[in-house]
This record gives sequence, C-alpha cells and structure tokens, in this order.
Amino acid sequence: MDQYLPIVLLLGLGLLFAAGSFVGSSLLGPAKKPTGAKIAPYECGIVPDHEPPQRFPVRFYLVAMIFIIFDIEIVFLYPWAVIFREIRVFGFVEVLVFAVVVFVAFLFLISNGALNWGPAKRLSEGMPSRTSDSTILRITATPSPPTSPERAA
Amino acid sequence: MRVALLIASASLHGGIAMPHIAYLAILPEIVMLGGAILLLAVASLVRSALNVTVITVSTLVISLASLAAALWQFFDVQSHGAYTTLDHAVVLDGFSVLVTVLVASAMALTALVGDGYQRREGLAGPEFNVLAMVSATGAMLMGEANDLVIVFLGLEILSIALYVLAAFNRRRAESGEAALKYFLLGGFSSAIFVYGIALTYGATGTTNLTQIADFLAKNVVVSDGLLLAGLTLLLVGFAFKVAAVPFHMWTPDVYQGSPTPITGFMSAVAKAAGFAALIRVFVSSFGVLRVDWQPIIYALAVVTLLVGAVLALIQTDIKRMLAYSSINHAGFVLLGLEAAGALGKVGARGVSSALYYLFAYTFMAIGSFAIVSVLGGRGDAAHEISNYKGLGKRQPFLALAFAVLLLSQAGAPFTTGFWAKLQVVAAAVDANSVPLAVIAMVSAAVAAFFYLRVVLLMYSPKKFVSDQEGDRLENLDASGDAVASTSAREPLWSGSGRQTALVNELNATLLLESSPETIEVPDEREGDVVNVPVLAVVAIGICIAVTVGFGVFPAPLADFAHKASLLFMP
Repeated sequence: MDQYLPIVLLLGLGLLFAAGSFVGSSLLGPAKKPTGAKIAPYECGIVPDHEPPQRFPVRFYLVAMIFIIFDIEIVFLYPWAVIFREIRVFGFVEVLVFAVVVFVAFLFLISNGALNWGPAKRLSEGMPSRTSDSTILRITATPSPPTSPERAA
Repeated sequence: MRVALLIASASLHGGIAMPHIAYLAILPEIVMLGGAILLLAVASLVRSALNVTVITVSTLVISLASLAAALWQFFDVQSHGAYTTLDHAVVLDGFSVLVTVLVASAMALTALVGDGYQRREGLAGPEFNVLAMVSATGAMLMGEANDLVIVFLGLEILSIALYVLAAFNRRRAESGEAALKYFLLGGFSSAIFVYGIALTYGATGTTNLTQIADFLAKNVVVSDGLLLAGLTLLLVGFAFKVAAVPFHMWTPDVYQGSPTPITGFMSAVAKAAGFAALIRVFVSSFGVLRVDWQPIIYALAVVTLLVGAVLALIQTDIKRMLAYSSINHAGFVLLGLEAAGALGKVGARGVSSALYYLFAYTFMAIGSFAIVSVLGGRGDAAHEISNYKGLGKRQPFLALAFAVLLLSQAGAPFTTGFWAKLQVVAAAVDANSVPLAVIAMVSAAVAAFFYLRVVLLMYSPKKFVSDQEGDRLENLDASGDAVASTSAREPLWSGSGRQTALVNELNATLLLESSPETIEVPDEREGDVVNVPVLAVVAIGICIAVTVGFGVFPAPLADFAHKASLLFMP
C-alpha cells in the first residue's frame, strides 16, 4: 500500500487547494452579496423574463475538434521522436501510416469547407428535399405528412 | 514498477523488442480500414461529389475483399492451426475467423441497404459507408483480441463510429436524440469497462488474456475481491454493448431513432462483436472462475429472455419491437455462454451454439431492418406496427420476405432461427441448466406471439383487425374520401343537416358491395406502396437465402460454427 501514498497525498493536496481557493476568495474578495438589480443585464427598461439567446457559431466547435485531431498527432510524434533511433524503419513506417490517416481527415475537412471562414455559402446544399412546405411543416410540428395533391383534389 | 522494469529490460537489450507481425491475422482489418480511408481521401479529392452508386460499389468491393481475406484466414487456420501474433495481443483462430466473416458480410449487406436509404433521405457523401466500415473494423478487432487493451480498442473504434452513425440523419430529431443517448450511456459503460480492465490488471498483473488464464491456473487468489470486482465491471461493459437486461435501457430508443440500415448494422455487428469478446474473455481467461460468473450469466440470461419477450409485446413501433426482440435474442446467446462455462466438450458446444446463434441472428436482423427501412418511407416516418396492416396485399413480396424473417426470428422450423434456438437450448440442457432452458422456451413462445402478430397484421383483411371500433371510424373516413375522390360520382349530399347519416348509409353500402378497388383505398392511406430499391432487394434476398438455405441444409453452417469452437483456445 506504500506505493499508493503519493496518490493519496496528491488527492489530499488537490482537495486542499480547491477548498482553500473557495475559503480564500470568500475571505479576501469583496464580501458583498449581489442584489437582484446588480446582476440584471440592464439597469433600466423592461425586465427580461428569460435569458437572451446567445448565438454561437458552430465553427468554433469545428475548430476545437480539428485542433484535437492534430494535437493527438503531436502527442504521438513526441515519444516517437524520443525513441526514433531504437525503432528505426518500423517506427518510421508506423508513424507515416498514422500521419497519413490524420492527413486524410484533414483533406476531408478542407473538402467539406470546414476551414472556410466568412459567410456560409453552402448552407442549403445537401438538403435537396427542402421546400418551403417542409420547413413550415417542421416549424409548426404538424404530425401528419402533407396530403398528396391527387387525394386533396 | 513494472513499467520501470520494462524500460530497464529494454535498455538492457539495447533496443525495444519489435513484435513479430503475422499480417494475415489482421488482413481483413487492414483491408477494411485502409479501404475506408482511401474512399474518404478519394471522395475528398475529386472535384464533384461522388455518386452514391460509386460509393456503394466501392464499399461492396472493400467488404468483399475483407470477406475474402477472412476466408483465406479460415483455410490458413484449417491447415496451420490457430496462433497469436503482435506480441500475443491478437489471435487468429476459428472463432475470430467466424466473427470476421460475420462482420464483413454484415458490412456488405448494410452497404446494399444503405444505398437506397441515402438516396431516399438525400444524404450525399461517403461518410455513411466510411463510418460503417470503420465501425466494422473495430468489431473485427474485438473478435480476435487476445488482450483486454485490444478488446477496449476494438470496442471504442466500433462504438465511436456508431455514435456518429446513429445521428446520421441530421434532419431527424429522433436521430440526434438516439445518438446522444447512445453516446452518453456508451461512454459511461466504456469507462466502467476500463475500470474493470484496471482492476483485473491489478489482480493478475497482466492484461493479456492467455497470461491471465495462466496466472489464474497457477495461483490461487486468496483475497479475490479485486479480481471479482474487475470481472464484474468487465461484464457490465459487455452487457451494455450486447443489450443484456439490466443494461438494456438504451436499446429501444437508440434502435428507434437511428437510421434504419444502421439499426440493422448495430443490432447485428455490435452484438456479435460484444458477445465474441465477452465469450473469449470469460471462457478463455476466466475459465477458472466459472463458479463465480456462471450464476451471474444465468441470472442475466433469465431476466434478458423474459424482459425482452414481455416488453416487445406492448410495443406499437416496429423498430422498438425489434429492439426488444433483439434483447430477447441476446438472452438466447447468453444461454450459450452460460453453457460455455462448463468444462470440456459441453463448454465447446456452448461456444459453438452461441456463435451459431449470432451468425443466424445477423442475417435475420439485417434482413428485417432492411425491410423496415424500405417501408419506413422518407424520413423514417412510417414505423407504426399499424402501418403494416394489409401489407400482404399492397406489397406481397416484401410482406412474404418479412414474414419469413420474422418466423425465423420466432424460431420456426426450416430456418436458421430454429436451429440456433435448438442449439443453445440443447447446450443449456447439456450443461445441466434445465430450468434456464425451460425459461428460454417459454420466452420463445411469448416472442412467437409478437412476431406472429405482425405477420397476421400484414395478411389480414382490414376489417378483421383487433381494434374494430377505431377501424370502423377510419373506414368511414376513408371511404368518404374515396367517394369524394371519384369525382364522376354525383355528390349525394349538399346541405349539412343530414350529412352524417347520409355518409354513414353510403359507407355501409360501399363496404357491402365494395369492389376490390374501393377496398384498396383505406390501405393506401396507411402507407403508400413504396418502391423498393434494387440493392435492398438483393440484400433482403441474401438474408432470406442464408436464413432459409442454412435452415433447410443446416450442416455447413453448423460445421463452420463447430470448427470455430474447436480451435478456440490458442
């Protein structure tokens, strides 16, 4: 059990730090409870009854995901570089295969316009079936499908 | 400590020892994954988007190449025997070959079914097939893993692609819901599985399945709490993947929401891969502990069989019904696994019966879901069981195919479903689990009811169907429409006062002297005659050919499954 002592210590330190941060901030920080008026978005005008919607471009998530792909590649490249001399050709080929896989993912992203910033030009592409009828149907959430013209006639 | 030793020994020998790789053992995976990546690269590089046909054909070629590689493996194993490679992390034996063959065939069938689906839903692009192929690679890897880490790797490759595929129809809210549920619960179960690996490693000092078996054979673990906890957590992880009962909650929602071809793929491949790894881990590594895990599997099998069969009875959505039926099937495979815990020949029979069941189930499930997919119509909308009313008249061939597959799932003779059920029940009886076998047969009888209900619904004329009051009203409504639509007919009513009475009378006469054409109208209202894509017909045809063909001539497939179990231990 001795070998687990550092882990327990680390756990204790982590808890201590978290608890200490809370205690410290409450002791040192300006100890004023915010009133309702203080946390309101505007000091005057109509009181909002719900949080305003926040528009957040989905592109940010895309960039984060792309970053992770290449981040992982770097994570693997470092240890490979350290022991490159020991694993020689085999290791080189393995890393090459890995890099090719990641690169294909990159190609896919480029070809799908994941890195095209600016106004979204291809928004409606890939929705050939979309008509104003279907959109209205979706918005009003009508459960039944639209009647076909010959039956409606 | 161990790591330090490893590093020390590595530096002592002046280099890292390279594992010997027998590439044949991983050839189907290389073909499948390499093909998927190549397809993705080509699709990204060409100027215009690739045609769905091109993508489907290349997927088929890749899957069949992978299947061919698996058959090459089969002959290699037949002549040279089973072996492990990649530092004993991967094993090539009859068992792994059978799983690989199963997964590659399932992939090819899914590509066939998915073609029509992608056209119908307007989903362009290679992603559908590429993701399915990546998922299939993970499934194959799970089938031949001889190390818990490789099992986990396969599980994740299989699952992550499936999470995305479940959400594939992004214009359908249910699809996203299914994917999120699957992702959250799947991630949770993966975490539990990894914890199980960690505890097992802590107890035995290795993650290699063969070495775990060696360790347990040579040492008596006195305080076995850690080991049993690890074993249980591993079982939970697997039970989630194969949808055994206390861990089945995700199944109906995910099966209902996912694109239907993917539901078929999921039910066949994820279940087969999960069971393959479960059987290999439990029988080959933890065989010594069979006294501990057999009762758990026994209990799991009982609740899985009963809950699956009973809850399927009350479903009104065909995909949910098939989801519960797949839970019921998982119970039957658990029957085989429970028997596989027995020693010697009985255990081998249990393994081969479970494999046979998985093989039979794969084709039944993919075929059934292919038909459901075709009938679902645009947007996977028409999945109510009541939509199947009168299908026998509307689309006789599709109805016949569905009837055959459902009867096979129910275990009717002359189908693989019958032999599969017979084998697992016989294996359970051999292993002295007679009560379990009885429960299995009772659940099969219950299950037969809900399969036959759909079959009857497809072939019954409209007015004999159970919910008579509702039907009568619908008929009124429908024939009212029929009258309105035949514009040549004189409008019999114009005012509003006696309208209802008149309509009622009119309908009564219409129903009495109705010619077949007027009867067609109410059927048409429930679901128009869908046009069936040719490739889906091919897929359904193959599924039926396998189901009935090996049902009438069971010897070759039974022999295949038998060989798989003989070479089971490396």
